[in-house]
Amino acid sequence: MIPRLFAVEQTPHVSLPAEELFSIGNFPITNSMTLGIISYILIITTGLWLAKSIQRGSKNRFVLFMQWIFEMLLTTVEEVMGDKKRARQLAPLAITLFFFIITNYYLGILPFVGPVTYNGIPFFRGLAADLNVTFALAIISMVAAQVYAIKVHGFFGNATRYLRNPFKDPAGAFEGILELIAEFSRLTALSLRLFGNVFAGEVLLVMVAFLTQNFSPIALPFFMVFELFIGAIQSYVFFMLTVVFVSLGTMHHTTDDDHSKPAEAKKPILASGGNDS
Amino acid sequence: MQTLLQFAVETHGQTAAKPGFFEALGIDWKLLLLQGIAFLVLVFFLKKFVYPSMVKAIDDRQAAIEQGTKAAEVAKEKAAAAESDVNKMFKEARAQADEIVATAHKEALAMVEDAESKARKRADRIVSDAKAQLEQDVTAARAALRSETRELVALATEKIIKEKIDQKRDASLIESALGEAR
Repeated sequence: MIPRLFAVEQTPHVSLPAEELFSIGNFPITNSMTLGIISYILIITTGLWLAKSIQRGSKNRFVLFMQWIFEMLLTTVEEVMGDKKRARQLAPLAITLFFFIITNYYLGILPFVGPVTYNGIPFFRGLAADLNVTFALAIISMVAAQVYAIKVHGFFGNATRYLRNPFKDPAGAFEGILELIAEFSRLTALSLRLFGNVFAGEVLLVMVAFLTQNFSPIALPFFMVFELFIGAIQSYVFFMLTVVFVSLGTMHHTTDDDHSKPAEAKKPILASGGNDS
Repeated sequence: MQTLLQFAVETHGQTAAKPGFFEALGIDWKLLLLQGIAFLVLVFFLKKFVYPSMVKAIDDRQAAIEQGTKAAEVAKEKAAAAESDVNKMFKEARAQADEIVATAHKEALAMVEDAESKARKRADRIVSDAKAQLEQDVTAARAALRSETRELVALATEKIIKEKIDQKRDASLIESALGEAR
């Protein structure tokens, strides 16, 4: 079968899961992975170029812009975490999340994503519009929060956040259960929020293009600009929530014995709870 | 509208055809694991090769800013100290100048008073000398006048009385005449 590229669709092609283009052995290669590979190459090459440019002391505007964003994100991590040393440990993960999500979000808006097809299936799809990716990122984020919490409180110290003696402290035990549920809800919310926004954005662009037909070159740019804005917001939200969850995990918390006492917040910026909205 | 409905039915048909919930969402543990590993590799790569340069640049800039701020604070402190020193020196100079002026004024007054005193003394002396000289001159003039008068009277008397009067007689006559004249 000869694969068809640039197939003309009578109806807009929308699929909730990423679609399989072909498989290598038992391993499926989806259309989100094709754009994902481009994004990985783009991030790595841009990163290496930036590093070399900075080492050379380049004053290129793009280099300065990227440095400014990096510094802003790093400062945010340091302010939220409170502890500079721990913030510097977490920063690579959090900042990579931001750059990774925003790059994939913006790549998904590009005009060739959708129209270029392979056997009737779009050849490219935004990587962040694949639940496998958003779930993987959310799992990494939550695991990081647990790892940092265990580093600070120890394994059993961290376990007391969720498991408390119901006979000694019934309210605390119930709170622990809620905390455990909250961890899973945070994971789900993180992944579904990002996926929902990216997927909805792509569907919106497809529908606007389909409905406006020949006028789509006029109508689409407005929605694309809107998507650029949403992409930046969502990337920052994912980044920020990851940092906040890690920070909440590393904060000093109450135990069975001092449940009635107010929690001593180690980080002033996160003195109160941080349930993900 | 019909197209939208058709689209909705197709989409529903696609998802409904999937057997399970996770399959319908396209969640495949193999893909999920691959994506997770790929992302962690990316994090490791960026952490190893990209971020150190960026963090170093930020740290260097912050260090330079802090150094600049410290230098500015030191300079400010030095400027304040210098201003204080200048004010202190200015006050001292002013005090010294005032003292010098006061001393000079006092000395000038003393000199003027001294000069006045000396001038007064000298004037008094000149006046007293002049008076003494005048008295001497008057006395001498008187003596001379008396002598001349005596001689004239003697001469006149000789001519009148045709008699030579000796000096002793002459003197007594003159004296008596002068006494009468007074």
